Amino acid sequence: MGHLLKIINIVIMLAALFILPGCWDQTGLDKKVFVIGMGMDKAEASGKIEVTYLIANAEAGISQQGGGSQEPSMQTITIRSSDLISVRNTANAVIAREISYDLLQVLVVSEELAREKDFIRFLYNASKDREIKRNAYLMVSKERASDFFTNNKPTMLTRPHKFYENMVNRGIETGLIPDSQLHHFFRITEEDANLFLGMYVTTEVKKDKDKFRANENNVLAGEMKFEGETNNAQFLGAAVFLEGQMIGTFTGVENRIVMLINRAFEATDILSTYPDPFMEGYQMAIRLKKVKDSDVHLDLNKQPPKIRVTLPLVAEVMSDPGMENPAENKKKIDKIRRYLEKEIAAQVKDVVNKTQEEYKAEPFGWSLYARKEFRTLKEYMAFDWMKTYPRMDIEVDVKLRFGEFGRQPKIPTYEGIRD
Amino acid sequence: MFNFLNKIARSKKKIKPVESRNTLEEQSSWKEQTISWLIDENIDLMKKIYRIPDNRDVKVREIKLGGKGRKAAVFFISSITDVRTIEDSALRPLLLNKDPDAGIEEIIYTQNVTAVTQIQEVVENVNRGNAVIFLEGKPAAYAFECANFQGRSVESAETEVLIKGPKEAFTEKAIVNLSLLRKRIKNEALVAETVTIGKRSKNDVFILYIRNLADNQLVENIKGRLNNLNADAIQNLSLLEQYIEERKFSLFPSVLLSERPDRAASFIEDGHIVLIMDNSPDSLILPATFWSFFHTPEDHYLRFFFGNFIRVLRMIAMFITIFISAIYIAVTTYHAEMIPADLLLAIAGTREKVPFPVLIEILLMEIAFELIREAGLRVPNPMGPTIGIVGALILGQAAVEANIISPIVIIVVALSGLSSFTISDISLNFALRIIRFMFIFSAGLFGIYGMTTLFTLGMYYFVSLKSFGVPFLAPMSPHYVSSKDTIFRKLLTQESLRPGYLKPVDINKKGNGAVK
Repeated sequence: MGHLLKIINIVIMLAALFILPGCWDQTGLDKKVFVIGMGMDKAEASGKIEVTYLIANAEAGISQQGGGSQEPSMQTITIRSSDLISVRNTANAVIAREISYDLLQVLVVSEELAREKDFIRFLYNASKDREIKRNAYLMVSKERASDFFTNNKPTMLTRPHKFYENMVNRGIETGLIPDSQLHHFFRITEEDANLFLGMYVTTEVKKDKDKFRANENNVLAGEMKFEGETNNAQFLGAAVFLEGQMIGTFTGVENRIVMLINRAFEATDILSTYPDPFMEGYQMAIRLKKVKDSDVHLDLNKQPPKIRVTLPLVAEVMSDPGMENPAENKKKIDKIRRYLEKEIAAQVKDVVNKTQEEYKAEPFGWSLYARKEFRTLKEYMAFDWMKTYPRMDIEVDVKLRFGEFGRQPKIPTYEGIRD
Repeated sequence: MFNFLNKIARSKKKIKPVESRNTLEEQSSWKEQTISWLIDENIDLMKKIYRIPDNRDVKVREIKLGGKGRKAAVFFISSITDVRTIEDSALRPLLLNKDPDAGIEEIIYTQNVTAVTQIQEVVENVNRGNAVIFLEGKPAAYAFECANFQGRSVESAETEVLIKGPKEAFTEKAIVNLSLLRKRIKNEALVAETVTIGKRSKNDVFILYIRNLADNQLVENIKGRLNNLNADAIQNLSLLEQYIEERKFSLFPSVLLSERPDRAASFIEDGHIVLIMDNSPDSLILPATFWSFFHTPEDHYLRFFFGNFIRVLRMIAMFITIFISAIYIAVTTYHAEMIPADLLLAIAGTREKVPFPVLIEILLMEIAFELIREAGLRVPNPMGPTIGIVGALILGQAAVEANIISPIVIIVVALSGLSSFTISDISLNFALRIIRFMFIFSAGLFGIYGMTTLFTLGMYYFVSLKSFGVPFLAPMSPHYVSSKDTIFRKLLTQESLRPGYLKPVDINKKGNGAVK
């Protein structure tokens, strides 16, 4: 009898084990829709925002036997709400399934809202939600975010998650847009010493006449001219945030310089152009690589405090419009080096000046080096990095090392051909 | 009327022959007699024991020897003897013999003649395919070997297939198997002891080990276990395995069956003990560790890198078999954020038109796969191809087209099924397939958390297992001195030690670097 009782006990325990702690509130994948991008716009009523969802259609782009679907690959809806969390269920009035932020990749904020003081109140909700990953990217759109999502019609990567993933990753690699993960936003905002850079995007391409520019990337999204049929969204340049509020922009080239100096960024494939020192009116293509972090020396006891930065770069000269073939001539190489070091240093100086005069804070991450100079946090706080920065004496020195000079075929002299 | 019926019934009882109450006790009481001086008595007793002439293949040839005309009788079972040998070596010389006083040893030509005095021994000899001669005026019988049991010849291995290496496999004749082993180990220290098990059927088990190598305690342990068995008949090793294994309810096997003589020989040379038996085309290798189930002989026949490559493959396949279906369930139901966006959308997309939850979907396909497998095994040969077509075409293709199963599930299940075939040992194979279902359920109920729990519990159990005193994961855990032939193997020339967990008398099997 005791034996039987034991068995009954075990069976009841096992049944309880499975019935009580099982995850019965789980939702199958087919009961969810996945939001790839979320937009935030200013609403007319105060304390409200307009949230736009870019929802991926899971069925698009898969080849299922038994009848594929002709449904579009994505849909956008815009709902007025007071925050990012409650809107999930509000949206269910029009969307049939549970809304999941599992695949959320981009958070687009209209420039209008980003320049508001209260913007930070809405964005900080994103850190509360468990499903919003901190590696989602923050973007600022020139137009309303809802317009950005509706107008953006990628032509070749029709599935939205693919488009944003590739666009963002390649943009960061080439240094055209900053690495603006939400995590960085929260970190920098809370640090209260630096500028945060968000990606600047738009679908509103200017129609007016193109001006001459030394570098095609030296503009903001929407200002670059291109012809042909491709995506109508441009991802170029950076939106500058100070204390959680947008205060200005950086062009593609400026953004790239910030990424080269700041050790938090990994720009691996920067191709830029500089005037050819041997041939006036022509541009050399230069690939810049950051192999080591820049060397930062601070002297904060001086008045004004001094910052001396050495930026070690590897340059690869990819084109040679002067047809001088500098690779084989030490003198020519030295000439290019001196020339490029001066050019890049001048560019950097421009950006530094801009941050000192216009934005009154720095995006280069130098405050991290400064912390080491103080014994206590109190002293550092008393120094007030952000206040002091605009008066600082900053010099950036570029140390260039040459990588390769492109492929080295035997190039004929100009005179040899045009005789 | 009633009385009449009763009478009939009773009379029928009386008609029943006395011999039908031929119990085991009665049988042994006959056999316990010594051979009588009177040959007729012996012949009668033998005829009674063997129920001659009812028993059609038991033959008795009564002859008168030349000269004085002494009576003699030859008993044998024609179906298990070589009748030609009996005729040529015994009957002919007996009939042609003119010397009245000649002993049997001087008359017949066979390799050996043994005199026996007990009926018991006579019966045993006859049962083993020998012939026994009774001679008038002698209280003894003479047995000579002429056994010829029918069976297959040596054929190539069917379950443990190799590309490189010897092809022959054990057959159902223990003597042939022994010969295959002796061919590989030409060493007088290789002992082939026999233990008879099965009270009625008298099945012989050969215990093979190398005398000055294998641990004596182990040999005694196994002999003791075999001698302790109390069963009427244990026909073959597959059955014997279940009599002598330690944990009968364990999922994991503790004794290794191999049909390859080369494999058995290498185990014997390492200090293991091998059992072989008539009627089983395998050998029973003990003690066995997890690694012995996991390895194949080809791991060593192939060169170092190739052998380790297939080991890695098999290890991966083993984990795929156990986990892939479970991981798919766990990830799609509980941990969607783990999957890359592309895959997540692909899975979500295919799941949109499918009616069942993932757990049911996977179970359906897994069971279907097991069905195909089982049916494919049992189906008569001419119908074999049909099963393949039905399985692959109807179940896979049609289930997807009918939107019952999503195509990714087909991939997952096919992968787990395919991977399970890489484990060639049938016992471990079954164990893994059953464990796979346990993981599927734990993943369906608790996600990765459930799988982790089950895996942890499983590991506790796994390391607690023992086979004849040897831990299941030895020499890896607990650590023993050995050649470290576990997941990977060393260079053949560096595998110089016998496994320490066997406590072999001589632990070195090679010189340093296998040179003198």
